[in-house]
Amino acid sequence: MSVCRPARCLFLRTTSTTLPKPTPPNRNFSTSTPRTARRRRPHYPSIKASDLKILNEAASVQFPTYNPTESSLAAKKYTPAQLAAIKAAETVIDPRDLYTQGQDRSDPWLLPYESDLRNMDPVKDHAPKKSIEDIKGRKEFRRTNRVERDEAIARVTTENMAKFYPDGVPTGEKTSEQHQLWEEAIVASMTQAALDPRTTYWSKDPKVVEALADPEHSALLPDLPRIENRMAKMTRRLSTEEEEDPRQKRLLLYMNWDKQQLKGVRVKTLVVHGVTNQTRMGKIRSMYYLTIAGNGDGLLGVGEGKSVEPEEGRKQSVMAAIRNMRPVPRYENRTTFGDLEKKVGATVVRLYSRPPGFGLRVQHLIFELARAAGLQDLSARTPRSRNKMNVIKATWEALCNQKLPDEISRARGKKLVDVRRVYYGGSVH
Amino acid sequence: MSLVNLAHVCSHMQNASKARLGLTSVPVSKLHVKLMLGLQREGFISSVTLGSSSPPKPFLLQSTHDPEKLEIMAKKLEAEPWLSYPVETPTGKKEPLGPEIVHTVNVPENPARRRLWLGMKYWNNEPVLKHMKLISKPTRRIWLTSEDLAKITRTRESSYVKGLTHPGECMFLTTDRGILEARDCVERKIGGMALCRVW
Repeated sequence: MSVCRPARCLFLRTTSTTLPKPTPPNRNFSTSTPRTARRRRPHYPSIKASDLKILNEAASVQFPTYNPTESSLAAKKYTPAQLAAIKAAETVIDPRDLYTQGQDRSDPWLLPYESDLRNMDPVKDHAPKKSIEDIKGRKEFRRTNRVERDEAIARVTTENMAKFYPDGVPTGEKTSEQHQLWEEAIVASMTQAALDPRTTYWSKDPKVVEALADPEHSALLPDLPRIENRMAKMTRRLSTEEEEDPRQKRLLLYMNWDKQQLKGVRVKTLVVHGVTNQTRMGKIRSMYYLTIAGNGDGLLGVGEGKSVEPEEGRKQSVMAAIRNMRPVPRYENRTTFGDLEKKVGATVVRLYSRPPGFGLRVQHLIFELARAAGLQDLSARTPRSRNKMNVIKATWEALCNQKLPDEISRARGKKLVDVRRVYYGGSVH
Repeated sequence: MSLVNLAHVCSHMQNASKARLGLTSVPVSKLHVKLMLGLQREGFISSVTLGSSSPPKPFLLQSTHDPEKLEIMAKKLEAEPWLSYPVETPTGKKEPLGPEIVHTVNVPENPARRRLWLGMKYWNNEPVLKHMKLISKPTRRIWLTSEDLAKITRTRESSYVKGLTHPGECMFLTTDRGILEARDCVERKIGGMALCRVW
């Protein structure tokens, strides 16, 4: 039996040569009884007449209708359109519903201010927008030709000048100051007019061109108004500004810096480990951080921080590092003045100055320090202990406490000459 | 020429500068005297005085002319500089600005009792001479040619002697022209036996 051919014989009731007629499905697909039709709710709540009376009275007491004096007062306050809207709203909302269901909003989305919604608040409300349907007629425009453009510029300039001088243009002899203001106003209004779309496009319908310059037709929201208030000025924050850190504030005060200078400082935490303080109550675990800071141009600092809170300890160390920044003398802004050696604990760090282009062929900790200080050619040895903290401290102290040639010459009473600089005629830095 | 004694002198100078001594003494020998004069020429020490076991009178305590008289002499010298030279007279040499005040130092007859007194220098709370180290050792003397020295003074290593890499480092050699600094040797193209390096 082919799969394509239906197994007709299985479904045949009688032997018949005619095709079976499609029968309407009379099967139940489930054994559960069908759900009865939903009972229709009455259009009106079935309330006893006496209850209804009480409700009506309560509603009319709570939400009374306006008497004529109130209506006349409202007419003074609201425009006819607003008054009509209020009346429509009053008729739509049944005072009985308001009485039974109405309540003060307490949801999170309630308006955080009380307003009779009469006025547009530029801060709280969205500015009203107009769509293209608000312009009647054909909305066609094209680029202006030269004559139309000149004419439009003249018109718009006059408009702008009227904004500068709302009381009319001053006549008679002008002082030099007034004259300067006048010229500035002319330049400003001419520039604005040249940028105005009304001077670039022309249409038969002047309303279309006006719409181009209308902020209500713009997709952009207008700028928020600036609040000219001393309090507002003091507390004004830009959205790009991050939260003020009191520690950072103190640091800036200490360094006599502004925030911009702080951005140029390269900070890196090089050592992190846990430390414990054994007390009779038990162990107190905290985190130790050692951070270096440098501006990449001859300033280098090392700071330590320790706290139970990891972030706190890190911040401590960063601030200490920036506060501890000390100048690192550099020969030709690239390497040290001669070889240096410093011992801290069991750690000895030897730093060797190297020729230009040598690079920083030093171990990672000294590399970070040298990079932060802005050294480019250096090699180093740590022949003894390589304790990270001591290596960093020794390197820092060696770099900061270099003996400078001019100090040596002063101390010895001899003249020292930088032969490289003399040979190259001062063309190396 | 005992390098053992020189080694002792080197250590002594380092110790004296660490102890911030103003004046110190070393045993006298021709080598020591010449080396110390070399150090003085390079500005590492302020004074070199031959004396006894007791220190010589410090310069500040030596008798000098009055400041007023010195001022008059300075004015005279400015007007007539040739007055600083003595004038030949039939009775002998005569100094136009008056006799010089000569400070005499008591030097013992016995050479073994003599000491060389050195004035140490300090600048900005740091000793001027901080490190002094032998290059040739008593058991291994090192002679350097002027070519070696040229390399060494240019901070390169040569003949197993490390270059002068520390800022302001000096090296003293004993040559047939006396005890000289390495750069002087390079200038005069002479070699010699390396004694010590100082920085």
